[in-house]
Amino acid sequence: MKNKPNYFLLFCVGIISCIVVFLVNLSIGSVKIPVSEIGLSFFGNEFSRKSWEIIVFGYRIPKAFTAVLAGITLSVSGLQMQTFFRNPLAGPFVLGISSGAGLGVALLVMAGSAFGLSFFSGGFGLWAVVFAASIGAILVLLLMSLTAWRVKDSMTLLIVGLMFGSLAGAIVSVLSYFSDANQLKVYTVWSMGSLGSTHSGQLELFFFASVLGIIPVLVFIKSYNAMLLGEAYAKSMGVNIHRLRWAMIISTGILAGSATAFCGPIAFIGIAVPHMARLIFKTGDHRILFPASALMGAIVLLICDAISQIPGSAQTLPINAVTSLVGAPMVIWLILKRNFSKEF
Amino acid sequence: MGDRKIILKSNGLNLGYKKQGESIIIAEDIDFELKKGALTCLLGPNGVGKSTLIKTIMGQLPALQGSVILDDSPLGDYSQKELSKRIAVVLTDKVSLGNVTVYQLVSLGRIPHTTWLGSMSSMDHTKVEKAIEVTHIRYLKDKVLSELSDGQLQKVMIARALAQDGEILILDEPTAHLDLINRFEIMHLLRKIAKEENKAVLVVTHDLEIAIDTADEFWLMQCGLPLECAAPEDLIVSGKINLLLPSGTLKFNPITGKIQDSTPYDYPIIQGDVKLTNWLKLIIRKNSLVFDEDLQVISILENPFLIKVKGEKKEQNYNSFKAFLEDLS
Repeated sequence: MKNKPNYFLLFCVGIISCIVVFLVNLSIGSVKIPVSEIGLSFFGNEFSRKSWEIIVFGYRIPKAFTAVLAGITLSVSGLQMQTFFRNPLAGPFVLGISSGAGLGVALLVMAGSAFGLSFFSGGFGLWAVVFAASIGAILVLLLMSLTAWRVKDSMTLLIVGLMFGSLAGAIVSVLSYFSDANQLKVYTVWSMGSLGSTHSGQLELFFFASVLGIIPVLVFIKSYNAMLLGEAYAKSMGVNIHRLRWAMIISTGILAGSATAFCGPIAFIGIAVPHMARLIFKTGDHRILFPASALMGAIVLLICDAISQIPGSAQTLPINAVTSLVGAPMVIWLILKRNFSKEF
Repeated sequence: MGDRKIILKSNGLNLGYKKQGESIIIAEDIDFELKKGALTCLLGPNGVGKSTLIKTIMGQLPALQGSVILDDSPLGDYSQKELSKRIAVVLTDKVSLGNVTVYQLVSLGRIPHTTWLGSMSSMDHTKVEKAIEVTHIRYLKDKVLSELSDGQLQKVMIARALAQDGEILILDEPTAHLDLINRFEIMHLLRKIAKEENKAVLVVTHDLEIAIDTADEFWLMQCGLPLECAAPEDLIVSGKINLLLPSGTLKFNPITGKIQDSTPYDYPIIQGDVKLTNWLKLIIRKNSLVFDEDLQVISILENPFLIKVKGEKKEQNYNSFKAFLEDLS
């Protein structure tokens, strides 16, 4: 076959780069730890400094795993949305999930203190934000499900999703206007995203949610290929569009919802990584595209996280800004290099 | 000739949809029989309900009354998955996929037959190869869709439907926006598929002339009238083909096989071979040419080409229709 990429080779290269980026990610930060030491430590060697072990196993490994999980979940849900809505601009958040989560957090941070409640004391504070974001995302998801139940047209669903997003955004704006500087800062920092705030227990839960959210994708993987030709053709090939739509809403709800709950909103990955996977793997077959997007999502987010450490000191750049700063030029370059409109 | 077994039929079918509990009827009392090994063309003006009929036959829209019967059981008794193994379609939906090769696209037709992961068995590959063979698109096999012309893409979509391996093939305006040669090729290909693969092929089309040349049966759909099902030749001879032209100003000419303006027209006296006089009449009528009152006869000769306009006093000669037209208008 002409120019058919060798998928096996591409995946091997992808997995190796993922491991390399993962190790590099562990080595950089406010304290530089040589990659070789980290590599050897996995084979039972002791670190030459005790503090390094605490830094790597206590902080950096959970953070790197969070990056991997967030990259996978956001990319996979983005690819689902793009194929289902047959719209290259669709992403994991078009159904208003991140806005819902944002609203949850805004209510917790800004409205919560208005009633004299403080959620940021002790161990409960760590979970409070995750909890609020999840509630917000689930609420939006329920509203979307009700809509999906009533409307048959996918484009209507897409527009309603965007409207829910705007609505949630507007409520957050109103809340921000009446809140004081401290609360505003807490919310703003959350909205910039963070990969380093998953604590013990949360990472396990995130992992569990990711696995759960990917199950519907695997069940319906063939239907996504049929959707390439549009809903009418998919129906004529025996695809139950209604069931597929529910699977997609539930799957992206769990995947993008948990990523937003644990890391805050992370822009760009969900929209751009599926396009990058299409451009590099040169296929429309979702049996290749889903694993390819997952792998590339993990790599891209690990790279972005590494870049966010560049200031060098204890300060890091917000991940939500870095993903767009790094990713947008990358996608523009890919698009200009190839005839993008013909690839989708 | 394949066996002309009836595979799909209906009686007393009412088409339409439900809106807020109310049924909106688009077409009533439709009876038809779709036969294997035959090419059937569904003709009718826009908005008469052809697409609704097709959607009902595809099982995507429930019938308001009556039912479509596939092999002795009503369509409603089949699941979507079972139907997808019996009926394959080519729709008017635009397919724009850059990254998919022709072979991959044709393979999508095997989706109803493969396992949940969609892996293709050797039997599936054989069916895909055969569909590619029948539609003569082997030379396109490894091309990506963005490199194809509209005519090529349509053949690929037909191949995909063939690979789905149902006995019924439904095509919604497969020749729209194609050039003349592709229209002929596609319709003759569909006829060949009906005959050689023994499929029941139903085509919605507006290309009356090509349909007459290729179809075994016509279904004429006209507002408020029952569906007229007959051989195109019968419809022409009985004049029922004019159901397609309800306005009355246009009529199907059974001699030329063309649709022509049917209002009477006063021509001057014309002499010459029919082949030439027909075109002379056309140019006179098209331009509403007016002649001098003393005109006696216009004669037209082929070799050498000459149009002679003879009046009482003078005689004018022209060596082309163009010169004739320029002088008179």
